[in-house]
Amino acid sequence: MSIEVLLVEDSPGDARLTQEAFREANSRIHLHVASDGVEAMAFLRQEGNYAHAPRPDFILLDLNLPKMDGREVLAHIKSDESLKTIPTIILTTSNAEADIVRSYQLQANCYLTKPVQLDDFEALVKSINEFWLTKVKLPQQR
Amino acid sequence: MKPFLKQKVLIAFGLAILALLFIGTTSYRWMTVSDESTRWVWHTHEILLNIQDLLLSMERIDSSSREFASTGKESVLEPYHASVQRVAEDREAIRSLTLDNGIQQRQLPAVAKLAAEKIQHADRVINLRRTQGLAAATAALGSESDKQIKDEFQAAVDNLQSEELRLQAQRSAKTEWYSNQSKIFLILGTLFAILVISATGWTTVRDISNRKAAEARYRGLLEAAPDGMVVVDQSGAIVLLNVQAEKHFGYRSDELLGQKVTNIIPEGFAERLIADGTRTAAEALAQQIGTGIELYGRRKDGSEFPIEIMLSPLESAEGILVTAAIRDITTRKDAERHLAQMEARYRGLLEAAPDGMVVVDQSGAIILLNVQAEKHFGYRSDELLGQKVTNIIPEGFAERLIADGTRTTAEALAQQIGTGIELYGRRKDGSEFPIEIMLSPLESTEGILVTAAIRDITVRREAEANLAQKVEELNRSNEELEQFAYIASHDLQEPLRMVASYTQLLSKRYKGRLDSDADEFIAFAVDGASRMQRLIQDLLAYSRVGKKGGELLDVSSEESLLLAINNLRGAIEDSGALVTHDPLPRVMADEVQLTQLLQNLVGNAIKYQKPGVPLIHISAVRNAEGMWLFSIRDNGLGIDSQFFEKIFGMFQRLHKREEFAGTGMGLAICKKIVERHGGEISVESQPGVGSTFHFTLAASKAQS
Repeated sequence: MSIEVLLVEDSPGDARLTQEAFREANSRIHLHVASDGVEAMAFLRQEGNYAHAPRPDFILLDLNLPKMDGREVLAHIKSDESLKTIPTIILTTSNAEADIVRSYQLQANCYLTKPVQLDDFEALVKSINEFWLTKVKLPQQR
Repeated sequence: MKPFLKQKVLIAFGLAILALLFIGTTSYRWMTVSDESTRWVWHTHEILLNIQDLLLSMERIDSSSREFASTGKESVLEPYHASVQRVAEDREAIRSLTLDNGIQQRQLPAVAKLAAEKIQHADRVINLRRTQGLAAATAALGSESDKQIKDEFQAAVDNLQSEELRLQAQRSAKTEWYSNQSKIFLILGTLFAILVISATGWTTVRDISNRKAAEARYRGLLEAAPDGMVVVDQSGAIVLLNVQAEKHFGYRSDELLGQKVTNIIPEGFAERLIADGTRTAAEALAQQIGTGIELYGRRKDGSEFPIEIMLSPLESAEGILVTAAIRDITTRKDAERHLAQMEARYRGLLEAAPDGMVVVDQSGAIILLNVQAEKHFGYRSDELLGQKVTNIIPEGFAERLIADGTRTTAEALAQQIGTGIELYGRRKDGSEFPIEIMLSPLESTEGILVTAAIRDITVRREAEANLAQKVEELNRSNEELEQFAYIASHDLQEPLRMVASYTQLLSKRYKGRLDSDADEFIAFAVDGASRMQRLIQDLLAYSRVGKKGGELLDVSSEESLLLAINNLRGAIEDSGALVTHDPLPRVMADEVQLTQLLQNLVGNAIKYQKPGVPLIHISAVRNAEGMWLFSIRDNGLGIDSQFFEKIFGMFQRLHKREEFAGTGMGLAICKKIVERHGGEISVESQPGVGSTFHFTLAASKAQS
């Protein structure tokens, strides 16, 4: 059974890097990429091109995005009855206290900063996989 | 006094003489009238005597005729003839005596006629006796007509007599009246004269004694006068002087009396005594009176001294005298000269003052100003004196002169004194310019004056504005720089992470699969990217100290240290370092930054070690200013004193990268944190022995 993960990331480099890291960590993971907030919401609500998009088991959300930023996306997800159960993890370069506090206020499930070093980043992705995608019990509704 | 007295006495004596004259003449006149009356009384009396005599003669005629009729003796007729003679005489006498009286004159002819008829009748009786004998004569005697004549005669004479008696009574009464009036008038007149004389005498005596007393008083006054007093007549001769005058001039009184006043006051006084053709001496003097004239006096020894004289004219029996009050003003002159010198000095000071000086009275009127003030405001001094200060300082100054009900002006001013007040001045041309004024009250005879030192602060204002602008620019540029550093480091981080990540990915996946050169190139790229990442992170951390700093709160520095030690756990374990500390105080700090500060310093102490166990001790003491002085002491490599300053700069490193990794930003961040907290950071060190880093932080408010 594959695990559907939605990565909301505007930087293709970062997206690819994350994809590479997840590939190394768990081959069952199916990573979908949305490059901005609007696209992410369309994916989640299965609108337009994403009419047949799967409901993700897990969302990795960057904060700084074009069109609709990560905070808005988070707010939409957590105020949507059908989407709020999906674990949403903030993965960003921002270290700012304000961003951290704001994210948890908006009920982010956890806040992670992207490590600068590739090794650290790979280690982080591994631990996400081990924790969130392996150990954590997720709701089974699709 | 003297002329007045004389006049009074003269008037009194004149009055007395006039009274006596009046009394004399009146008495004389009345006495004459009385004498006349007496004479008239006697005149009446004489008439009465004649009337009596007439009656008596008529009686005798009757009796003689009757006796002759009875006896016929011729001898009996002798008195008869005499009486007839007497009757004629009496009748004539009465007529002449009563010429002045119409009534008597009218009655007299009747009397005369009756007397004549009676005598005629008697003659007829005598003739009858002679011729016809006794019986005829007796018959004639007893006749009715005879009796009738007798009665009528008696009645006529009675009328005459009663008229004279009335006159006699009237004249006697008049005489007595005049006589009595004269007596009373004499007595009263004499009494009046005596009264006038005695009154005059008494007042004169009193005036004289008064005058003597007054003279004594005036003499006393004259002598008691603080000024020398000299009285001079029209010719300039001294007629009186007091002791003070003697003292002033060094003469004895008798040496000066009668001498010319020019001996003691050579110039300026005598000239004033001589009136020109058109005005009197009094007028000439009047112009001088009340104004002190300053002249020179000459002493007996010839020395001169300044005097002030006050002249006043004095009318006297000897003509107009001039009283001169003479004051020796040597001391005053000296004082005036001194004062003038002082004034000149102060004036000089005032004019030399770099600020405009304006002295203002309570009403806000300008009473003094210096050249600088004229220049500031573009007015001439005379245009401003007496004008309201609001003309040149429209607002903020005059208001301060007005005290409210509960405090005096001095108090109101006192609050302002010592503090420059910044206001606006207005020039003559209407333009305004910024001024700073310093007020100080000045008690004077005209009340409290206010001295305002006025400084044109246009240049200063410009400089201030300039400075403020520069500061603003600098702040903006600093902010921009911080913003730039933050944005640069933050935004650079993203692409750099790409570079670093993909070079690392390359290295990881393709190491050994390409040639050795490729491996080496990739290794350099990975290293360069990693270093640049660290640099950027440190730069970001540095820029965040100012930009992202939180509020300074009362925090425990000990807790911050424990947190920092915990963060350094790995490094401490790896190095085997022994980190100890004293109890540390609560301070005013941003907790995150304080932790970072301590972490950097302790981290450095661990990092820059020589072989052996690193010993690190943290302590804090209160310094003289009440700040906490923290010390982080180590036994590490130590630093050469020439680098003490340099190490706190950005990107400053003392070691090669091969020896110690690092960006050279750690201490720069420390310095920035300490400075943001209002403290100072420094180091003391001896190479090979160890270093001690010091920094100060404000004590928490509870402690201070």
